[in-house]
Amino acid sequence: MTIRNGHNAMLPYLGKLVTVQDMAPEIKLFGIELLNVGSAQFADYQPGQFAFVSAFGVGEAPFGIASTPERGNVLEFAVQRLGAVTTEMHELGEGDIVGVRGPMGNWFPMEDFKGHDLVVLGGGIGGAPLRPVLQTVLDHRADYGHLNILWAARNPSLLLFREEYDTWRAAPDTELHLTVDEADGEWEHDLGLITDLLEKVAPAPKNTIAITCGPPIMIYYASKVLQKLGFEPKQCYATLEARMHCGIGKCGRCNMGEKLVCVDGPVFSIAEAGRFLESYL
Amino acid sequence: MQLISHSGLATWLDHLAQETTLIAPRNVDGVLLYRPVQSSGDIVWDFVRPVLSVKEAFFPATERVLTIEKTGQQIRLNETVPDGERVIFGVRSCDARGFLAMDALFANTEPVDVYYTTRRENTALIGLSCNEMGETCFCTSTGGAPDDPTGMDLMLTEVDDGYAIQVITEKGAALLPEITLQELAGEIPQPVLNDPVPFPPMEAWPPQFNDAYWADMAERCLSCRICAYVCPTCRCFDVRDEPLPAENGSQHFERIRCWDSCAGEVYRQIAGGHNPRAAKGDRMRNRFFCKFYYYPEQYGPVACTGCGRCVDACPVNIDITEVMHAVQRLAEVEP
Repeated sequence: MTIRNGHNAMLPYLGKLVTVQDMAPEIKLFGIELLNVGSAQFADYQPGQFAFVSAFGVGEAPFGIASTPERGNVLEFAVQRLGAVTTEMHELGEGDIVGVRGPMGNWFPMEDFKGHDLVVLGGGIGGAPLRPVLQTVLDHRADYGHLNILWAARNPSLLLFREEYDTWRAAPDTELHLTVDEADGEWEHDLGLITDLLEKVAPAPKNTIAITCGPPIMIYYASKVLQKLGFEPKQCYATLEARMHCGIGKCGRCNMGEKLVCVDGPVFSIAEAGRFLESYL
Repeated sequence: MQLISHSGLATWLDHLAQETTLIAPRNVDGVLLYRPVQSSGDIVWDFVRPVLSVKEAFFPATERVLTIEKTGQQIRLNETVPDGERVIFGVRSCDARGFLAMDALFANTEPVDVYYTTRRENTALIGLSCNEMGETCFCTSTGGAPDDPTGMDLMLTEVDDGYAIQVITEKGAALLPEITLQELAGEIPQPVLNDPVPFPPMEAWPPQFNDAYWADMAERCLSCRICAYVCPTCRCFDVRDEPLPAENGSQHFERIRCWDSCAGEVYRQIAGGHNPRAAKGDRMRNRFFCKFYYYPEQYGPVACTGCGRCVDACPVNIDITEVMHAVQRLAEVEP
């Protein structure tokens, strides 16, 4: 349990916005430095965990953490302006105070992935919670095998972390494949769905782990293609999103059957989540 | 077992109302609810069950979680944990049984919910047995009984000359009146029971997940969510910030949580519009699977106490006991 005994788990820690960057139309990357006790709670969060961010006066919402503690004490979140909380967050600037609760949920078993080849499939804003996986692999490159990054978005302007692609490509034994649904004149990569790209790249399943995050329908079809390529459900991991109001297993909102995305996930192997995916579309 | 006379009970309740916050069934504009009373004269004695369960005294329909004070870029948060001791009189067995489910999640699963557990610790429950079951009651089919003292601190049962008092906990013993009570002569009368309804075991549920029954039974559902609001175990909630009046140049807000229900149309809808349970059948299925399969699987207790409130409250007569019958039938056809 990552929420410590004694602390009221509904009470946010205060944090200061130290960076606000435009990443894509309606998507900003927020960097938050926690004040006081909160920083100790976030000293050792793991790739795949999430947190609730408060825009005080409007509310709070859950976001996958897009950073690793190894790279510094600034927590990063890629936030698309969609609802009331994210709209208010987009109004905030550097120096503003936000609330953070967490870290919450389980994480990708990066220790178990050591020595394996990895296929990372990120679609749209779903790429954000996968960035800590990429950062961990790149920071410990020798611990992991071949890294195939399949990165997708509806159009080129919506591709996340574009300024990091050169670093990813330059890393040893690492490939980056890009695809978009709709291209503009400049586009020189693939066109089509990430599942088409996956069939084209066709990673070998032997000793390989596939990791995905994106819209539910993408996860569903990506897991079908992976299985067609010979991947076992237990070799495939997904991090899921759901509407939530507490993040600590109380509000009931995020259930998929008897599993709760917030405490039993958000990271599931397809062996665990497969039977729910159809009712989750 | 001890006996308290009708007049002795009234005097004792008057005393409790003076000493502490006494909550009991009372008539509020024609609606029977558990509410604070000033004296025993405010209490309604002849009732099946209040319209809302006693859950609302521990997990209110709307409650403040914290307050937020915003001055320029400065933010100050104040935790608003409830305080004050209370005694609740006239608790029905079905409602106290609801605490098995509520405690399992809010008090016994980390992280504990400080709002709920603080109220549980600060509150004593005096139960009042039902002499007979209401028309829509089925507590005996979900593990309870009209005179079940589970979860109570004291349990009262009406007898000829007053009420028999069973002391269940030390918290209850400490509440007893200082007057000398008579010993009860004879036995406590047995309540009159309704015929039981089938209680499908947990393993009967998963095979029915994809059955056409759910879309069919839910067709008339209005997604009004009253079933969850009257339920002693439904505990889903929403959290949001609401403005309070500005003071001394600062903006003030409260963060509240309020009841919500998986029967609601946008319950699972995420920002951007995706809704994995857009169909009524999927939502009703989730409601009943939660009660009889998910909740026991996650936390142990069944999330239905057979109080029958949802049966009475549903504007389109969706009846949980019919669902229990149907699942039992489906399980027998396709075990």
